[in-house]
Amino acid sequence: MTANRIEFDTTRSTEFVDITDRIRDSVRQSGLRDGCVHLQSLHTTLGIAVNENEPLLHRDFENLLERLAPTGAGYEHDDFSRRFDVPLGEPVNGHAHCRQLLLTAFATLLVEDGQMVLGRWQSVFAVELDGPRHRQLAVQLDGDFGRRRSDLPESLVEIELARQLMVDPDAVASPMRRLVEAGGKRLRPKLVQLTAAIGPRNDPLRAAELAAAVELLHNATLIHDDYVDESTHRRGRPTVAAEEGPERAIAVGDFYFAKATRLIAEMGNAGVTSALAEALEAICASQIDDVALRGAFPGDRESYLRVVRGKTASLFAAACASGALLSGAEPEVVAALRRYGDLLGIAFQMADDVVDFSPSSGKPVGLDVRQRVLSLPLIYAAEDRVVGPEIRRLLAGSLGDAEVGRVTELVTSCKALTRVRKEAQALVEDAVRELEAAELDGLRPALVGLALSAVDRQS
Amino acid sequence: MTVQLQALDRELDRLEGLWSDGLSETYRAYLDSVGQFAAETQPKLALAAALIEVGLRLQGLGGRAAPATTLLMGDLCLARGSRLLADNAPLAVQVAFARAIESMSSAAASEQPTPTTRQLLTTALGAGTPPGVQVR
Repeated sequence: MTANRIEFDTTRSTEFVDITDRIRDSVRQSGLRDGCVHLQSLHTTLGIAVNENEPLLHRDFENLLERLAPTGAGYEHDDFSRRFDVPLGEPVNGHAHCRQLLLTAFATLLVEDGQMVLGRWQSVFAVELDGPRHRQLAVQLDGDFGRRRSDLPESLVEIELARQLMVDPDAVASPMRRLVEAGGKRLRPKLVQLTAAIGPRNDPLRAAELAAAVELLHNATLIHDDYVDESTHRRGRPTVAAEEGPERAIAVGDFYFAKATRLIAEMGNAGVTSALAEALEAICASQIDDVALRGAFPGDRESYLRVVRGKTASLFAAACASGALLSGAEPEVVAALRRYGDLLGIAFQMADDVVDFSPSSGKPVGLDVRQRVLSLPLIYAAEDRVVGPEIRRLLAGSLGDAEVGRVTELVTSCKALTRVRKEAQALVEDAVRELEAAELDGLRPALVGLALSAVDRQS
Repeated sequence: MTVQLQALDRELDRLEGLWSDGLSETYRAYLDSVGQFAAETQPKLALAAALIEVGLRLQGLGGRAAPATTLLMGDLCLARGSRLLADNAPLAVQVAFARAIESMSSAAASEQPTPTTRQLLTTALGAGTPPGVQVR
């Protein structure tokens, strides 16, 4: 069981405050899978109702309450001369107490598969009867929190990563440890862990092993990428290539490519091994395309999507599919999760492109421009009738600080960033839609939350 | 040989240039080491080993680092070789190949002499050999 309070301020004497989304948030945050939400008004002039959120209907309710318990109809409660210990500022509110008697101070709402069970037109209201006031509702969530495991497995992945690095030769382990310890969003391991809890063979330790192997594989590709892109920093620290030279970077990348594929193979699930091997091949093939397209920088949307699908989305999709396969999920569930991961991966990359133009990201603004990396906002801005010609002219020459600064300014000044943000959000909605028909054993809210957080970010 | 190459057509996508530039010879050399596997998987496993050997050479592992574009081609060779193993090799062979690459890259990172790739990968192919069968 878990408990909290919903607090709000009302603005009128009688008011229907829709608290459906607040309760829904409580359910999502609690991880409640199947059970009940109990609500209790903590006031004698605040009721609870489940009904339709339609403003004219609310006026009908108000009129009904007024007819049944009219204001100022000579309530004995309002005769302060006959009451003891009347507090200072006691309101004349006999009508409000009587109205509350007609409503209820309690409600129990059902939760199934992580979702509140409400009819199409049903919303949950706190009904203010003596406002305006500050109000509180007590909330208790009770039932099966079987899927509230998201905190624990994340720490399992960190432990597993540390354990794997501990047994490796220092020449390769030290650079990888620095990269791992520098952080990162760990989205791919999270996807593995979440999807590995879906099927009947849910084993958090095996899921953490697979998740850590996927993270090592991802980091191995980053180490080679940084050499190719001549990047000097990643996650706020010098890259392996910049700090230890390209020879060491190649060796470290190869070591963890091999180690990760071994760890994955040793799990003994052929479907998992194949899914991740295919993703790695797609990443490498699209890296070649990515570099080849830099000759035609900034490129077009079609080329961008082809590269991003291979470079980023393939591992998101494989992470989702492999977790589900490991847990023995049904083939249609694996397929739905693979599509979810693919769409999420593309959306994530688009959001990442937008962050490159944000001064609050913590990274140098316009790094993608400087490195001539494919970027959708830049592609759209270069197509813009107003700023496009200047952007294309600047990109055709050498890109020093002044040119990068000007390109960034032009991209920010047009509608390119908004367009990309909307496109990323639409992809996330598509990704979430892929989950609708799949039997996800209560994990839908977590996957939806992860998808939303992947595109709603500043860094 | 023609039939085998037709089966490998898809696997040589983007790597056609490499085929005439040493990959075909390396492939033929590994064909001698895959006789213990089912006939239809022999060319795939020989190609997997050849791709990994050529990939490591292209990257410049243990020597001077390859330029960026060559490194990426080497990465693709490694990834494709790895996928061929994942789809066609017994688990013991997959693990043996991974360990072979781990030992070579670890030696390279430590600036130690790198073991001979051909020898290590041939031994890895032997990890799938039933007891009593001789690997050439």
